[in-house]
Amino acid sequence: MTGIETFLVEFLKLTFLSMVPFVLAGQGTMLGGRTGVFNVAQEGIMLTGASVGFLVGYTSGSVFVGSIAAMLVGGLFGLILAYFTTTLKMDQFVVGLALFFVGTGLSTLLPKLVLGITLTPPLIPTLKNIPVPLLSEIPVLGPILFNQNILVYISVLLSILLWYLLFKTNLGLRLRSVGENPKAADSLGISVNRYRYLTTIIGGMLIGLAGAYLPMVYTGTFTELMTKGRGWIVIALTFFGGWSPLIILLGSIFFAGIEVLSYRMQVGGSVIPFQFLNMLPYIGTIIIMIFTFGKSRVPAFLGQNYDRERRTL
Amino acid sequence: MTQIKKSLPYIIAVVGAFIAAGIFIAAIQYNPFEAYKTLITTSFRTPNGFIQTLMKWVPLTLTALAFTVPLSSGKYNIGAEGQFLAGAIGATTVGILLADLPPALLIPLVIIAGIITGALWGLISAWLLYQFNINEILSTVLLNFISFQLVDYVATGPWRDPSAGAPTTIAIGQNGYLPMLIKNPPLSIGVILMILVAIGIYFYTNKTTSGYELVATGANPRAAKVHGIDTRKMFLLSMVIGAAAAGLAGAMEVSGVQHRLIEGIHSNFATLGLIIGLISRGKNQAVPFVAFFIAVLEVGASAMQRTMMIPSQVVLIVEALIVIFILLSDLIKRRQK
Repeated sequence: MTGIETFLVEFLKLTFLSMVPFVLAGQGTMLGGRTGVFNVAQEGIMLTGASVGFLVGYTSGSVFVGSIAAMLVGGLFGLILAYFTTTLKMDQFVVGLALFFVGTGLSTLLPKLVLGITLTPPLIPTLKNIPVPLLSEIPVLGPILFNQNILVYISVLLSILLWYLLFKTNLGLRLRSVGENPKAADSLGISVNRYRYLTTIIGGMLIGLAGAYLPMVYTGTFTELMTKGRGWIVIALTFFGGWSPLIILLGSIFFAGIEVLSYRMQVGGSVIPFQFLNMLPYIGTIIIMIFTFGKSRVPAFLGQNYDRERRTL
Repeated sequence: MTQIKKSLPYIIAVVGAFIAAGIFIAAIQYNPFEAYKTLITTSFRTPNGFIQTLMKWVPLTLTALAFTVPLSSGKYNIGAEGQFLAGAIGATTVGILLADLPPALLIPLVIIAGIITGALWGLISAWLLYQFNINEILSTVLLNFISFQLVDYVATGPWRDPSAGAPTTIAIGQNGYLPMLIKNPPLSIGVILMILVAIGIYFYTNKTTSGYELVATGANPRAAKVHGIDTRKMFLLSMVIGAAAAGLAGAMEVSGVQHRLIEGIHSNFATLGLIIGLISRGKNQAVPFVAFFIAVLEVGASAMQRTMMIPSQVVLIVEALIVIFILLSDLIKRRQK
């Protein structure tokens, strides 16, 4: 292979590796949004997921147990969000922001309580690559697509599954109707609240797992504010993806590509100061929003609570 | 009497938050009474503690106003952090480049530079909202991350102070330092400036036509539009005013406290500003009072960590609980109607 080829293989392999937090948190956000609950606490939930995933993974000695714990905590955040917005009908942005604070504070507090104040943080083993038999032998494509960690495969399968569920099944149709017109859904006997709780909790679990991916794959440990805005970028990603699972998957590859590019260019030694390369993911996101906002289809009741006793929608 | 009745739910909410957090503190094996004693009294025991509280009060009030003024028109500015840093960068740039000007010129120039760069940073989000209808929460947050990199770039560039450990610029010209109210412990006139701004904003939103239009837009954008108010312009205006307040906070932190740009100069002011704004329930006139209360807690929190080894993040839990309980008390009031 020539130099360019190895560079490209390496680049694409890293891109697929880095897309996972975007896919998981993006699908989680999409799920809640499809029934009308607009979660804006991703950054906080991901941080707590990273913190809990790391701590439980470390104390139990198993990354699997750590991931489950991160999902449970994420699900708890989802439950709280659903309770405050769906049952108590409080403003979704305000509750989301409050949960963002709680999550951010909790994520730095927990390691201090569990581990004490240490100079050298402990490490957990990072996820191993699992080569798919036969497929990983394919030249070029094999190492890029079929020699990755388990969550890369899971995030692709999850996206396809969610697409099928939302657009090809009766359940999906009912679920989407809650976000498009809860009053009509309600009158057909669909329980608006039950669907909102369900999607927000599952969404929270996926976002928590997305956070746990960071210590499990990138660093092996938890560092303060390690999500670096990925939670916010995910919100832009779901708009970019038109709240549709497969386009969110494609968008994740794209956003991950920008992230990897900004790192690769720094390692490669570029004339552009590294601070400006670090800005790339954020500037890229803003530019993408300019082209997609207002054009992409959004669930009609996104961010709005439904009160069946109110006369007008 | 009605005043007491009106404020009762808030008092209950605050007390409730302290009790809930107290249980948490006890659960992690510390004495909540000792902790709260340190938390509340540190600011008032020594002159030093009180001055420290006032110094925190200035940026906290301004970053909270950066959130509540746009909220008056119904928009969420989560970008006070970036606007604060843009203001600090602007103030530092002018303070270094024009270091030789006399104080009568340099001080106002440094402050105005901060206000303008802060406002411009906010204008980016405001314009994206105005022109492309881009959600302001997202654009303001993303600009925060960009501003961190910009600060790093300026503080490690040609102006870097090589003797400092963390990325830091050289000091601005001495003529650009804000005059001191008290020499030791140091307190600049920034606190007076902040109070004037807070009064000015109260006056603007509550006593002027334009301010009334702004509040009307927030209360019911559809009705405001029907009555001939250009609501999109109001969104833009409120975002820029808020950003200017954050920029001023950044400039005063440079000119009145640090005298240079330091990485991390924004501390946790903006996050606390959001919390203060939420506790004030978006009311601009309540912000300075709530900000003072939070400044007391913050000064107490660092004392608590020093003397009792309780992580200062515990206070963030108290503050988040206050926000949640106040939201809940609103709800109870709404049900009673």
